[in-house]
Amino acid sequence: MAVPVSQAFTVMSYVLKQKLKGRKRYPLVLMLEPLFRCNLACAGCGKIQYPAHILKAELTPEQCWAAAEECGTPMVSIPGGEPLLHPQMPEIVAGLVARKKYVYMCTNALLLKEKLHLFKPSKYLSFSVHLDGEKEHHDFGVCREGGHDIAMEGIRAAVAAGFRVTTNTTLFDGADPNSVRRHFDQIMEAGVESMMLSPGYTYDKAPDQQHFLGKAKSRRMFRAILSNRKKSWEFNTHPLFSEFLMGKQDFECTPWGMPTYSIFGWQKPCYLLQDGYADTFQELLDATEWENYGAKSGNPRCANCMVHSGHEASAVDYNFSSLKGFIQTAKRYMFKPTYDDADAMKLLNEWPKTSHGPLVQIDNAASTNVVVKTTVQESSAVSGD
Amino acid sequence: MATDQQEHLKIEQLQHQSQDEIEVIAGRERENLEGWIPALASEAEVRDALEKAFDYRGDVTITRKDGSVVEGYLYDRHSASTLETSVVRIIPTPAKGATTTATQRVMVPYSEIAALNFSGRDTAAGKTFEAWVKKYWEKKAAGEKNIQIEPEKLD
Ligand code: SF4
Repeated sequence: MAVPVSQAFTVMSYVLKQKLKGRKRYPLVLMLEPLFRCNLACAGCGKIQYPAHILKAELTPEQCWAAAEECGTPMVSIPGGEPLLHPQMPEIVAGLVARKKYVYMCTNALLLKEKLHLFKPSKYLSFSVHLDGEKEHHDFGVCREGGHDIAMEGIRAAVAAGFRVTTNTTLFDGADPNSVRRHFDQIMEAGVESMMLSPGYTYDKAPDQQHFLGKAKSRRMFRAILSNRKKSWEFNTHPLFSEFLMGKQDFECTPWGMPTYSIFGWQKPCYLLQDGYADTFQELLDATEWENYGAKSGNPRCANCMVHSGHEASAVDYNFSSLKGFIQTAKRYMFKPTYDDADAMKLLNEWPKTSHGPLVQIDNAASTNVVVKTTVQESSAVSGD
Repeated sequence: MATDQQEHLKIEQLQHQSQDEIEVIAGRERENLEGWIPALASEAEVRDALEKAFDYRGDVTITRKDGSVVEGYLYDRHSASTLETSVVRIIPTPAKGATTTATQRVMVPYSEIAALNFSGRDTAAGKTFEAWVKKYWEKKAAGEKNIQIEPEKLD
């Protein structure tokens, strides 16, 4: 099971309550950014470019808890910056856990091993470790040699200490689906609970402006990665969001689904775009011109976005909006389809072996393709919905 | 912020091509705004300059019409129908040695702004990926290990 039953039940009853109340716009996960500073400087990240006094600033524990209560979501994700650089992070997390929030603390894990003793294992707490792929790919993505090894050490230490650990992988153009699949094997072997996968967003503040995936390529890549999947792989993304990435579902963005709170306030409209700030969550809901966002709005900044923070909530909402959506989702959870797909396998086996730029020379000799013989066509478990 | 020309080209591209068919999306070139002192001669110029200041990832300096100066990170703006009702929100740059909590905020109506200077360093500029790759190979050739892009020192 990708998440504990209690968490699945809590989320389900929360969403049903919102539906019964007739709320048109309800949040699902609070993205709490208590600070922007980081101990990495990844080329694809557009989050950390601020003057020093902004990077030094941080939310207090009280501000974090107030935001969680104001927003009311059952899940709180703590990205950043690097949350483990916040000196009061253990206190912040403990306060959220005491409020029975399911916390995903996103970390690059460089400090995880040494700070682990400051946290207490709980079904409410999961360390969501940012890992961009196998060693060379991750080190390349985060612009730091040796980053992967340290993160894996952190993961192993956290698993051994009884913590829930998940991973979060962001892919850019040049990613190798075969390598991503091997990465999944390594992650599951290390004992993580489940994995999350997303295409990178085209931040115009990111240093690397050359490796953003277009939608066509994203879908092809995710189809190659996520089809013919192994039963041992556990994902903590909604199954219909995973199908959206593979091009099997079409969802519009739900920008209010994962609202972001930081030292600036409630960010309009979403985790990725900064079009202004509201002082209260209600003001965010009321004052944002939501019709200006999402691919169909024609907003060029949304045109290429397939990111989970905008689209996973759409999958969840769809799941609870119609009997068809509910049945589709229930089937995915019950039968855990492997999406057997001969064309996707061909795609995988013929994927060009290009390394992402001249930084790392990925050892192709050691990276033979995953050849799995399959005669199965599109999965019957997902057709006929 | 992308230039107006880039925004225009992007919109043109999307009008003629389905976003679902785009293979690799182009990034944006940044405007070089560091050190810029806009003229603020017309209402349109005031609004445009403050929009750019909002998107700018460095501190700015605003001189009010009464001569007082506020320097800091302009993190929000509210553009309303008149300059009197439009405001920018700023987190002031702390004095040297002072601790920063970012709790202090300053609001300045557009109508009170006499001058604007993009005075702080643009923290999103000048760190191209290509420059990093070049540096990486230089360090590698020099036998260095554990090469990385160091996050900036904050003190
Ligand atoms: S499409 Fe992406 S960038 Fe646009 S509002 Fe939605 S999540 Fe934000």
